[in-house]
Amino acid sequence: MSSSNGPRGPLTRRTLLAGAGGALSAAALAACGSASGSSQLTLYQSKPEAIPYFGQLAADFSASQERFSVQHDIATNLSASFVRNSPPDLGCLNYNLEMGRFMERGALSDLSDLPEAAMIREDVADLADWYPTYEGRTSVLPYSVTAASVIYNRRLFEEHGLEVPTTWEELLTVCETLQAADVIPIYGTFLDPWTIAQGLFDYTVGGMVDVRSFYQQMDEIGEDVGPDSEVSFQSTLLEPVQRMMELVPYFNSDAPSRAYGDGNTAMAQERAAMYFQGPWAFGEIEKAGSDLDLGTFPLPMTDDPADLKVRVNIDLSLWIPEAANEQEGARELLQYLMRPEVQDPYNAEFLAFGTTKDAPAVTDDRIAEMQQYYDEGRFYMGASQFIPNSIPAQNYIQSIAGGADAEQTLARLDADWARLAFRE
Amino acid sequence: MSTTTPAASAAPAGSTPDPSRSSATTQPARRRRRGKVGRERINWPVTVLLLVGALAVLVPLFVTVNMSLKTTEQAVDGNAFGLPDPLTFSSFVEAWNLTNFPRGFAISIFITTIAVIGEIVISALAAYAIVRNWDHRLFRWSFFYLLAAMFIPFPVVALPQIQLTGMLGLDNPLGVAILHIAFALAFNTLLFTAFLRTIPLELEESMRMDGAGTWQVFWKLILPLLGPMCATVGIFAFIASWNDFMMPSLIISDPTLQTIPVLQNMFQTQFSNSYNVAFASYLMAMAPAIIVYLFAQRWVMSGLTQGAIK
Repeated sequence: MSSSNGPRGPLTRRTLLAGAGGALSAAALAACGSASGSSQLTLYQSKPEAIPYFGQLAADFSASQERFSVQHDIATNLSASFVRNSPPDLGCLNYNLEMGRFMERGALSDLSDLPEAAMIREDVADLADWYPTYEGRTSVLPYSVTAASVIYNRRLFEEHGLEVPTTWEELLTVCETLQAADVIPIYGTFLDPWTIAQGLFDYTVGGMVDVRSFYQQMDEIGEDVGPDSEVSFQSTLLEPVQRMMELVPYFNSDAPSRAYGDGNTAMAQERAAMYFQGPWAFGEIEKAGSDLDLGTFPLPMTDDPADLKVRVNIDLSLWIPEAANEQEGARELLQYLMRPEVQDPYNAEFLAFGTTKDAPAVTDDRIAEMQQYYDEGRFYMGASQFIPNSIPAQNYIQSIAGGADAEQTLARLDADWARLAFRE
Repeated sequence: MSTTTPAASAAPAGSTPDPSRSSATTQPARRRRRGKVGRERINWPVTVLLLVGALAVLVPLFVTVNMSLKTTEQAVDGNAFGLPDPLTFSSFVEAWNLTNFPRGFAISIFITTIAVIGEIVISALAAYAIVRNWDHRLFRWSFFYLLAAMFIPFPVVALPQIQLTGMLGLDNPLGVAILHIAFALAFNTLLFTAFLRTIPLELEESMRMDGAGTWQVFWKLILPLLGPMCATVGIFAFIASWNDFMMPSLIISDPTLQTIPVLQNMFQTQFSNSYNVAFASYLMAMAPAIIVYLFAQRWVMSGLTQGAIK
């Protein structure tokens, strides 16, 4: 390091600066070259279990035509790419409140002129509008919808002579019977706050409250949300949360120290009869054990079987940013992905429901029981999904499940909601 | 076990010269107090503390190695300590393919190399200029200016940095390396200036008498003398840039140029656990740090205490 650069004196400084300048401009040129030279198209998709699948789709599309080659992006930070004004050309990912922010600010282009937009079931397309929207635009096309409800072990149910419950009373009877027979009725993994929010909380709230109108009103009331407002967490959600607490005694006693992975292992080993998780857990349960006979049913929260509903979320949605470099190619790729022969196998493989009007029914035995609810539009999106991340709602719910006073904690949720609304 | 060494060294010294023979009678007593070689009294509290410390490192390492050799089915059975049965290396293959390991690894090495060398050279240059020109107001204030940057962490200025690097075409590994150098400049310059002040000016003057210019003095005298501090800075720079997640994930726009830690992020998701693949990948990413440590242990040790004293 020391000897080679030494003896040249002032010349070195100039060379050094020139070298640095050269390196900088070379880097800049290289960046330009890669951006403008080819008709490369970025597909952003980050659902880890589907990475190889979409990698293959991207390769297939690149091979099927000559104008565009697809780069499959799984690593870029999405917000950063929007800040840099170089977002992916086509996004294919989970749609939620955070993604909705991009929509709300008009960062996603209008796709309503595509024939594919009309192929999607209206009540499914409407799911995207539960989140903030941008006037007059249809920018988010749901690609697959996952439905979540109670996973149950058919063999254990049969062994104890149980039927799938359709009312709250029946549910309690099922739990009592299982507990009396020394079987854990429901397996809980309270160590992971999201599992409580996603399962216990969303199922109980969704089974009793109209989630969409609740949040519409909450948004309208905004900073005035409190004990006296028309709707609030502490008044509207108190009853479901109290019912949720009635179920807690039927969980495994070590639930507070069990995490999501433990729950999947326990279900695979048939240690419990029911499990409040979505279809994503099936793949994990399968890793730990096969030869299981699992099914799903919506959690009954009322005394009327007509109230039964399943929890859904937009597992994957397609959108094209306004700032995308390759709009045309992105639209072509979108149309390719929306072809029934491409879309339907994805949904079949990843245990999701199709979003188009003529999508085939699911065939997997484990989720087939939810098909009728999905077809009839008897679904809701999880209540916990509509609370912004800046409110630690999952942790509040976790503390309720751990024994904190429900009324007080929900009141705190109201206060946080009002404070956030005031700030924005 | 420093307490035993005086007794041990006293024994051979006592046997050779005459006058010490008189003290030989007292030696057994002293020996009993301080213990024989190999039969020292064990300092139990310290031993237990060290054991706990060693286990705290070894147990997770054991689990990492253990998990990476298991099949997927065994990895999720809830027994982290159960030995792999059957033993399989398929996780390594899968991790290698999923992250496109060779490319990510090369990018990580590229960034780390530039960051380490750049941080050492540029900070040393800055410190040298500042210390030798302390009388000039410009240099003094530039030192304070650099120090002020210590109070600006990257996350605070992340968004403008993303935009700036995007505009300059530096949204690539080179940009990350440059940012690493820039953000570490404050602390490194502080370390170097403190160390440089202890190097006597006379050394430099004698070299100038022999006709050396400023550059020669720096490369042939100052930088070699700064060696221990270079080791410190280099170690910090290596750890910081090799393990960094946030900066590359935000700055690098081309997904094919992402670093290993960012690529590995795909193993950690809410909905799925693939411990065996994840741990295999972590092991492969840890390897260079461990290998570097094995070879550079001596400098790491001295380097860390260097930094502690300042």
